[in-house]
Amino acid sequence: MIAARGEPGLQRARTARRLAGCALALWLAAAPDARAQDTVFIGAKIYTGTGTTIDKGMIVVRRGKIASISSVGARAAPPGATVVDVTGKVIIPGLVDTHSHIGVYSRPNVPANADGDDPSKPIQADLRALDAINPDDPGIRMAQAGGVTTVNIMPGSGDPVGGQTAYVKLRGDTVDEMLILPVGVQGGMKMAGGENPKTTHGARKKQGPATRMGIAALQRELFIRAREYQEKTSGVLSSAKKPERDLALEAMVEVLERKRTVHYHCHRADDIMTALRLQDEFGFDLVLQHGTEAWLVAGEIAKRNVPVSIIVADSPGGKLEASRLRLDNGALLERAGVRVAIHSDDPINPSRLFLRLPALAVRGGMSENAALAAVTLEAAKILGLDSRIGSLAPGKDADLVVLSGPPFSVYTQVLQTWIEGELVFDRADPEQRRYATGGFAVGDRYPELEARP
Amino acid sequence: MRCAVSPALLAAVLVALASVAGAQPLVVKAGRVYTVSGEVIANGAVVIDGGKITAVGKAGVVPVPKGARTLEAAVATPGLIDAQTSVGLAGFYNVGADRDANEKTGPNQSALRALDAFNPDDPLLDHLLAHGVTLINTGPGPADPLAGQSGVFRTHGEVADEMAVKVPSALVVNLGEIPKATYGKREKLPSTRMGTAAVLRQSFLAGMEYERLRAAGGASKPDRDLAKETLGLVSRGRLPVILVAQRADDIVTALRIGREFNLRMALAGAAEGYLVRDRIRESGAPVLVGPVTQRVASPETFNASYENAALLADDRIRIAIRSGFDGYVPRAHIVLYEAAVAAANGLGFDAALRAITLAPAEILGIDDRFGSLEVGKSGDVVLFDGDPFEYTSHVEVVVVEGEPVYRRTPGAP
Repeated sequence: MIAARGEPGLQRARTARRLAGCALALWLAAAPDARAQDTVFIGAKIYTGTGTTIDKGMIVVRRGKIASISSVGARAAPPGATVVDVTGKVIIPGLVDTHSHIGVYSRPNVPANADGDDPSKPIQADLRALDAINPDDPGIRMAQAGGVTTVNIMPGSGDPVGGQTAYVKLRGDTVDEMLILPVGVQGGMKMAGGENPKTTHGARKKQGPATRMGIAALQRELFIRAREYQEKTSGVLSSAKKPERDLALEAMVEVLERKRTVHYHCHRADDIMTALRLQDEFGFDLVLQHGTEAWLVAGEIAKRNVPVSIIVADSPGGKLEASRLRLDNGALLERAGVRVAIHSDDPINPSRLFLRLPALAVRGGMSENAALAAVTLEAAKILGLDSRIGSLAPGKDADLVVLSGPPFSVYTQVLQTWIEGELVFDRADPEQRRYATGGFAVGDRYPELEARP
Repeated sequence: MRCAVSPALLAAVLVALASVAGAQPLVVKAGRVYTVSGEVIANGAVVIDGGKITAVGKAGVVPVPKGARTLEAAVATPGLIDAQTSVGLAGFYNVGADRDANEKTGPNQSALRALDAFNPDDPLLDHLLAHGVTLINTGPGPADPLAGQSGVFRTHGEVADEMAVKVPSALVVNLGEIPKATYGKREKLPSTRMGTAAVLRQSFLAGMEYERLRAAGGASKPDRDLAKETLGLVSRGRLPVILVAQRADDIVTALRIGREFNLRMALAGAAEGYLVRDRIRESGAPVLVGPVTQRVASPETFNASYENAALLADDRIRIAIRSGFDGYVPRAHIVLYEAAVAAANGLGFDAALRAITLAPAEILGIDDRFGSLEVGKSGDVVLFDGDPFEYTSHVEVVVVEGEPVYRRTPGAP
């Protein structure tokens, strides 16, 4: 139907009308297919993640995004859409775990699977978690079964600078399919203070650092070298020869330019202050990770507007720096105006029971809204991904979890986990269910539970 | 001179003085009283006098002694019991100075007693008490094949001997990955599962032989040996054995050895118990399951399931819930939380509550005094502000022998 070249204007106009007619016909033919790609969730109580709830809601998902979210009856469901009847169920945003070691410490925990801490030297800023993530780690399926959709997969805390973290969604067969940001800065920078780096490098390896002052000195030196590298590579010192490419310092320049967030593992109050002092000196985006004694220095943290991603554990102790772990840490920080997220530190806490952690924070006095935000929108903000995830709103990724009941009840099960409109976990599937309960590797030998009243 | 005060008057004065001195009776009232041994009592009351339960029934119907204090809450349960742990020995700080759960200097540590290492001042005891755990069967950890003697202790108190409720409670025996890793890395016996089994069998044999020679007397009567004495008690059925085994074949090995030496035994851990439940049921051995939230971690726990407790209970295997040994963070699991996860994964509320009260009491042989709210038993009661298993509920008060020893403050669990 392409008009031949050189046709007179009238002919061109007729051709144009025919072209328009064809286009209209094609569009009409295509439109029902486009609408059939919609998925509609009807009838659940929806926690949007911004503090509001809809008692009986309708979510329309189109091409991986939330198209609309409203009360049932407020608008018609798009015709031809796939309907997911979630009457009587609860929907929350996909959970965001800001601190996990799934994929880099695959299960079972044998040396062959230990890829999260490289103790060969204390400063490992060029190492990238993405080069070690195993998408076949059963821990990833187990996390999906816990309603987790986005994870900050991190190196461990054995090194003062452990390496680059990876912000991933729990979907895909390769790490490239998991990474949220396909190019550019794809995660943060893991740093650690306190006992763990000392144990790895001082006590065991008899190389530095063996003290907290040793840890801080190495971290400061790295920042200083990064500044110098930044000056040399930006051509400020035009007379100097451009330096050889340095992967570690490249990543640290991203930190200095606030393109890459530092996730700093710290428990004790003085280790928290060391992290804040580093930030004061060099200026970078910082998240305090674990923050066991953050409640003790809440004022210092609040005045710098630094967020804290806290650890929740059944008991304090296990090491000296965890001896003042308190269930009301989240509550105290909330009251002090500190931004709080809650993470699993999988395998320390199981991702399958991720909702247990904000629930325990509520037990300790945190408000329900803040506790839910700590594993959804606030966590997303900490990762700089809140434009895409962390709450259910039009235009955001359709990452959502269908629950059998209220989010913080022990009796509630995760029924389904959806990522960008794709169902990645379905408890109704017997094989997938065994990632939620355990026993995923025993296949047919897994017995059936008697129905209980 | 004849005594001016009659014996009857003297006795009355002494009783009155005792009441004033703090043995005041206590009435615990709750919207739901879970006795565990019987029905749930709506708007119930438990009367405790002289440290023991003297009445259980409906509030307003049950006679209340004069001068009784009253405590009230939404829910009351018996004091919670952890069927097997290492708290009190595996120290809070996890440094050399307070690590006392794993001897590791030889595979047969039968002579070792939890009593001699139990630290009443360990902060984890208060932490457990704040969650309603009033008794723990504590002792050695998983490193040694014959690890030593466990004991049942209160979580509230100041001196180990006074807190001890039953010592020894059992001989703790370990199979599977951990004991063979402990000795294998030094290239000592055992470094394989068959090595571990051989060590166990040699030791039980030595115990039997020791008993025989001691009984025979005469010139060949052996000198007293603490380890062999303990194994001798085991051989006579006077001391039960707790065999910790996770993998299915290790559970079967434990049952095989148990049969060979006619052990009074319980299994513990049993992550893969649900795969060999027929053999377990046949043996009649109870299982101290857990922790329920056992990490899917090492190869032997790779198939751990939250539904394990329910699957074993479905097969009429007697279960109790244990917290087990914790080597890092968290330094202790809480059986209240563990039972909650089991309840939500097929076990149901009643069976889960029983698994942390009457069931461990029965298995440990202390159910004459503990494990349920019944007349004559110790006045150990836990008060909750809601469903005990809900994460967002709280323990309000813990009563031990009729005394409130823990009261919740804001922010506490």
